[in-house]
Amino acid sequence: MDSKTRNVVALVTIVALVAVSWWLFWPLDEKINQGLDIKGGVQVILTASPIGNTQLTEDSMSRTEAILTERVNGLGVSEASVQRQGNDSLLVQLPGIKNSEDALDALGSTGRLDFVDMRSINTSENLVYGVKLPEGSYDTSGVIVAGSSVKSAGATIDTQSNQPAVSVDFDQEGRDQWGAYTTANVGQYIVILLDNVVQSVAQIREPITDGSTQISGSFSAEEAKRLSAVLQAGALPVDLKPSSTLIVGPTLGGESLRQGLLAGLLGLGLVALFMLVYYRGLGVVSWLSLAVYLSLLFGVVALLSRMGAFALTLPGIAGLVLTVGLAADSSILIFERFKEEVRMGKTYRTAAKSGTRHAIGTSVDADLVTFVSALALFLVAIGPVKGFALMLILGIACDLTVAILFTRTVVVLLAENVIPKAPWLFGLKGGGTDA
Amino acid sequence: MRRTAIDLMGKRNWFFLASAIIIVVGLISLFTKGLVFGIEFQGGTVMTFQAQSGVSAEGIRTSLEKAGVADARNATIQSTQDGTFLVRTTESDPTKASDAFTAVVADLALPAQDITVTTIGPGWGRSVTNSALLALAISILSILAYISVRFEYKMSLIAVLALVHDAIIVLGVYSLFGREVTPNTMAALLTILGYSLYDTIVVFHRIRENSRNLQKQTFMQMANESINQVLMRWVNTSLTSVVPVICLLVFGGETLKDFAFALVVGQLSGAYSSVGIASPIYALWKEREPKFQALKKKYAKETAKAS
Repeated sequence: MDSKTRNVVALVTIVALVAVSWWLFWPLDEKINQGLDIKGGVQVILTASPIGNTQLTEDSMSRTEAILTERVNGLGVSEASVQRQGNDSLLVQLPGIKNSEDALDALGSTGRLDFVDMRSINTSENLVYGVKLPEGSYDTSGVIVAGSSVKSAGATIDTQSNQPAVSVDFDQEGRDQWGAYTTANVGQYIVILLDNVVQSVAQIREPITDGSTQISGSFSAEEAKRLSAVLQAGALPVDLKPSSTLIVGPTLGGESLRQGLLAGLLGLGLVALFMLVYYRGLGVVSWLSLAVYLSLLFGVVALLSRMGAFALTLPGIAGLVLTVGLAADSSILIFERFKEEVRMGKTYRTAAKSGTRHAIGTSVDADLVTFVSALALFLVAIGPVKGFALMLILGIACDLTVAILFTRTVVVLLAENVIPKAPWLFGLKGGGTDA
Repeated sequence: MRRTAIDLMGKRNWFFLASAIIIVVGLISLFTKGLVFGIEFQGGTVMTFQAQSGVSAEGIRTSLEKAGVADARNATIQSTQDGTFLVRTTESDPTKASDAFTAVVADLALPAQDITVTTIGPGWGRSVTNSALLALAISILSILAYISVRFEYKMSLIAVLALVHDAIIVLGVYSLFGREVTPNTMAALLTILGYSLYDTIVVFHRIRENSRNLQKQTFMQMANESINQVLMRWVNTSLTSVVPVICLLVFGGETLKDFAFALVVGQLSGAYSSVGIASPIYALWKEREPKFQALKKKYAKETAKAS
C-alpha cells in the first residue's frame, strides 16, 4: 500500500468509526449506563466464608452467584445485577431501591430449602408456585427432609408419561428420613419451600427407599429445569456477610456526576487552550484528535453498556478525566517530534513521516506501561476500583487508535499540503531541504 | 533554532538530595503520625446529605442518640464547604445502620432522595488491601518484563525504582496532610505507578536512540542532551496530564477528590522522578559498562566543572 492509499484508508476508517460511535452513544444519557453511585439505589458487596469445615471453591462461588441472581430477580428490581468480584466477593446492585433492609434480608440469608408435609402447613394461602408463606407457617416438626440433604437434582423425562420431570437424590440421612416418611404416607402431599416460597407441590405415589426420587406432573421442560436448579442449589453453599453497603439517593448521585463532568470539561477546556497557544495550527489538530478520541471512547462505552458490561461510576469519571490528559500527551509527542525533525533541517514532508513514526513508537511504549497496570488493577482488584481501571483500559486503546490512524495521518497530510504555505500558522519557521 | 541546553545531569546530586529529604520527611511522618484510614478499613457507616436550613451538627447528634446509635456521642459530623454533611459512626451492621439513619432522616425531615449511606463491614478494608497488593505485584512484574523486553533490564529496574520513589512520596504526603486513605486512594496510587512511568519511558526512548551510535561523549553527557531534546514534551505532557486532574481536585465531589489528590501528587512526583532520579541513576549505572567507561575517561573533563 503506498502512503497515499494508506492515508485515505486511515481517514476513511476513522470517519467510519466516529460515525458508528455517534450512532452508538447518542443521546449520551440514554445510551451509557450509569452506575449505582450516580443514579441511586442500593449496592451491597457480600463476602463469602465457608460453612462448617467446607472450603470455598470455584464451584461453590458460582453456585452462590447463580442463587443470588435468582433471588435478586425475585425482588422485581429492573436492571438488578450480581457479579463476582475477586475470589470471595459478590457485588449486588439494586438500582432504584430506597430501602436496603428487605433487600439485605433476602440476599444475605443462607437460604432454607425444606420438603414439608402439607398437613403441617398452617396457612390460608393457596399452595402454588411462587406464593410466599408468612414466617412461622410451619415448624421443623413438619419438615420431612432439609434441603441440605439433597445430593443432586436434575431435569429428566418421565419414562412412563413421556413428560418432563425432576429427579432428586438424597444423601444417606435424607434417604432414611425420606424412605420412612414416604412408606408411611403414600397418597399425601409434599410441599417444597425455598425461604418460605412454594417451589412445588407433589403427591407421594409410592414408598421411595432407595433415595432416588422422581417428581413428575404437568411441568413444562422449563419449569422442570427451574425446579431442579432450586433443588440443586437452593441453599447457599457458603455463608454470606455484607462487607460494604452503599445506599445512594438519586439526587446526590446526579449532583456528583454534574460536578465531575464540570471539572472534566474545565480540564478539557484548559488543555485545549494550552494546545492552541503553544502549538497554534497543530493545537487545532489536537482538538480534532481529542474530539475523535472522546467519540470513540463514548462509542465503546455505549457498546459495552448495550451488552450490559459497563456502567459509568464516579471512579470511572476520574478515569475518564485522567485519559483526557493521556490523549493530549499522544498529540504532544507527535507534534514535538515533528517540530524537532523540522528543526534538524528535514523538509516538512520527511519530518512528518519519520517524526510521527518515532513518536508513535514512544507513545505505544508509554501507553502500554500504563495499560499493564490498569489491566492488573481491573483483573485483580475488587470494589469501586474496577470502574476506574476499565475506563483507563478503554481510554488507552482508543488513544492509540486515534494517534495511529488520525493524528499521524492529519499531520502527514498537513505537512504535504498546508504547512509549507503557511509555516507561521503552525509555529514553525520554514523547513530545510531533504537531507 | 530554539534549543535548551540545561545541565540537568550535572545537578543530579541536588535532585538526589531533594528526593532524599522528601522521602525521609515522609517516612518519619509515616512512622510517627501514620496514615489515616477511611471507614473502609475499620468498618462503619457514613451518611452524606445536603444540608437543610435548621440542621446543625448538634441536632444531628441528638437525633442519632434518639435513633439509638450506640456511639452517637463519638460520631464524627463534618460539614463541607459545598453544603454537605458527612456523618460517620462505627456501626458496621448494615441493617442496624440503615434503621438508625432512616430514623435520623425522619427526625430531621430531610428529603430522602438526597442521602447516601455507606456501610462497611470490618473485613472489607483487608480484602481491598490484599487485592490491591496483588494487583501491585502483578503490575510491577509485568512492567519489569515489558521494559526488559522492549528496552533492557537495567532500564526496567530503574523504572521500578522511580516508581517506588513516587509511591513513597505519595504515601508520605498523605501522612503529612493527614488525608484519609480509602480504596480509591489505593486505585489512584496503583494507576500512578503505571502513569508515572509515562515520562520515564519518553526519556528512556530518547536515551536509547541516542546511545546507539555514541561517540565523543560520555554516557552522562548524552543522557543530559537527550533530556534537553525531550524537555518541552516532558513539560507539556506533564502539564496536560496534571491540569485536568487538578480541576477534578478543585471542583469534583467527595469521591472524585479522593482520586484526584493521589493522582495530582503522584503525577507531579512521577514527572520529576523521570528526569531527576531515573535518568541520572541509569546513566551512572551505564557508565560502569566497559564500553562507556572508556568514553568517560576520554571525554569526561569537559563537564567536570559542572558536576
